[in-house]
Amino acid sequence: MDRQEIIKEIVEILKTVRTINPEKLDNVTEDTDFIADLNTPSTEMINIAAKVEQKFDIEFEDDDIDDLGSKVRDIVDLIIATKEKE
Amino acid sequence: MQVSGRKVAVVGMGGVFPTCSNLAEFKEKLFANESLLREWDKATAHGKNIRSTVAGFVTEAEMDLEIIPSSIMENYPETYIDKLNRISANNLATADVGSIWAMISTLDAIKMAGWSTEETESEQTGVVIGSGGGGHEILRAAWHNFFELKKKSRLAGSHNVDRAMVYRDAANVSCLIKNKGVCESIGSACATGLGNIGYAYRLIKFGLQDRVIAGGVEGTSIETFLGFDSMQVLSRGFSPEKSSRPFDINRNGFVCAFGGGIVALEEYDLAKARGAKILAVIDEYFNNSDGDGDMFAPSFAGQQRLWKGLLANTTKRPDVVKVHGTSTPAGDAIELLSVVDALGETGYHVSAPKSQFGHMLGAAGSVEFIASVLMLENQAVLPCLNSDELSENLEGFQNSEQWNGPKKPLSVFRDLIPQQSFQKEINTITCLNYGFGGTNSAIMISKDY
Repeated sequence: MDRQEIIKEIVEILKTVRTINPEKLDNVTEDTDFIADLNTPSTEMINIAAKVEQKFDIEFEDDDIDDLGSKVRDIVDLIIATKEKE
Repeated sequence: MQVSGRKVAVVGMGGVFPTCSNLAEFKEKLFANESLLREWDKATAHGKNIRSTVAGFVTEAEMDLEIIPSSIMENYPETYIDKLNRISANNLATADVGSIWAMISTLDAIKMAGWSTEETESEQTGVVIGSGGGGHEILRAAWHNFFELKKKSRLAGSHNVDRAMVYRDAANVSCLIKNKGVCESIGSACATGLGNIGYAYRLIKFGLQDRVIAGGVEGTSIETFLGFDSMQVLSRGFSPEKSSRPFDINRNGFVCAFGGGIVALEEYDLAKARGAKILAVIDEYFNNSDGDGDMFAPSFAGQQRLWKGLLANTTKRPDVVKVHGTSTPAGDAIELLSVVDALGETGYHVSAPKSQFGHMLGAAGSVEFIASVLMLENQAVLPCLNSDELSENLEGFQNSEQWNGPKKPLSVFRDLIPQQSFQKEINTITCLNYGFGGTNSAIMISKDY
C-alpha cells in the first residue's frame, strides 16, 4: 500500500468523525494538519488513532501515540513504521 | 444571605417527557388524566431475570436522535445524530443521551424566556443541572470492552469522562449556551431536580446571579432501572397505566421513569423590566435532612421540620401540595400525614403527578415543578390517578407510642386527593421531593400579580 492509498483510507476514517466538516476532506494531502486545517477537536485525535489501528490491522505503541504530530504525514509515517515492525 | 427586595421568577421551561413530543403535548395529556407509562421492551427482553417491566421511558427515535455505534467498541455509542439539527456535532460528541435532552430542553426554556444572546452568555447567567445516576450506558459499554473483552483503554476514546461525569448535564449545557456565570450540579438522589432549582433560586435571591438555567435530567437507562429493580421497590402486578398508584391501599412500589425538566429562572425586576411573561414566582425554598441515620426510611420528624422551615417566613399557604407521592407503601403514608400535620385537614388539595408519569429519579423534582407551574397556568389540579381505595385502618407506625402525628387513617383525607383533574383557583403551590440519604426539599411558588 503506497502513501497515497494510505491517505485515501485515512480520509475514509475522517469521514466518520462527525466533528470534522466533510467539505474540508476534499483535498487532504500529507501537509494537511488535523487541528489547524481540519479544525479537528484535539480530543478526537485518539479516536482517529484507534480507528486507524483497526483499519490497518496494526497496534501502535503508547509512546508513538504520545509523540504523534498533528499532520497527516505524521500518521502515514507511523502506519508504515508500525507495519514494518510487525 | 438573602438580599432584600430580590425576587425570583420562572420565565421559561423545557423538557423531555415519555410519550410526548413537546411541552404542549405533556400539558394536554396531564390534564386529560392520561398515563405516560408503558411496558418496556428493554426490560421484558430479560425475561425472569428482571422483576418489573413497566417504565416511563423515552427512546432515541422519539427524540429524533440516532445512535452512531462505534466501529471499534462493542455496544458503545460513538456519538449521536440530531435529526432536527438542534444541537451541533461538536456538542453531541461530549454528551450522553441525558445531556442531549438537557441541551434541547435548555434551548426551549431560553426561547420561552426570551433571553438575548448577550443575556444568555453573561457572567450573571448560571447553569445548575443534576442527574440522579451517572452515565451508566456509556460506562457499562466502556468497562465491558476493557475488563471482559480485554480491549485497550484508548478504544473508548476521549468521551468516556465527559459523557459520564457527575455534572455532565450542566457542563454540556454550559458549553452549548456559553454562559459565563456558575456551572454546577447538585446531587440529592430523588430530590435532585428540585434541589437544583432550589439552589438556583438561592443564587439569584442571594444576589450571586441574575439568571440561572436549572433542573434535573435522567436519561433512559436500563442500568439505572436495574438498581431499583434489584431492591424490589418497583411496582409490579398492574397494567402500565395502573402501576403508579400513590396512596392507594394496593400500592406496591414506584414506577421507574426517565425524562428531563429544565427551567429558566430570572431576577423578578429584571424579567419585568424587559416585559417577560412571568410563569410563576418562587416564594420560598427550604431543604433539610432527617438526621436519624436511616438511608431509606421516610421520616415524619424530618418532614415536620421541612414544613416548619418552609413556612417560617411566610403567611402564605398552598392551594395545592404537589407531593413526592412515589406509590411506595411507607413513603406515601408518612408524607400525607406530614402534609396534614402542617396544613390541617382542609383548604388545599394534594396532587401526585408520579401517578401519571412515574418516578423520574433525578429529574422528578424538576419535571414535577414544571407540572406545578402548568397547574398555576391552567388553574387546575393534576390528579392522583389510581388512588382508588385509601386505607381505613391506621398505619402500623401510627399505633406506636412515639408517634406524634395525626391519628387518623388515610381514608379520612379522601377529599384532599382528587382522582381526576379539576379546575379551581390556584394562587400558591408547594412542591415536595425527598431522596435516599434522608434529604428533603420543599419549594413554594405563586402566580404573579
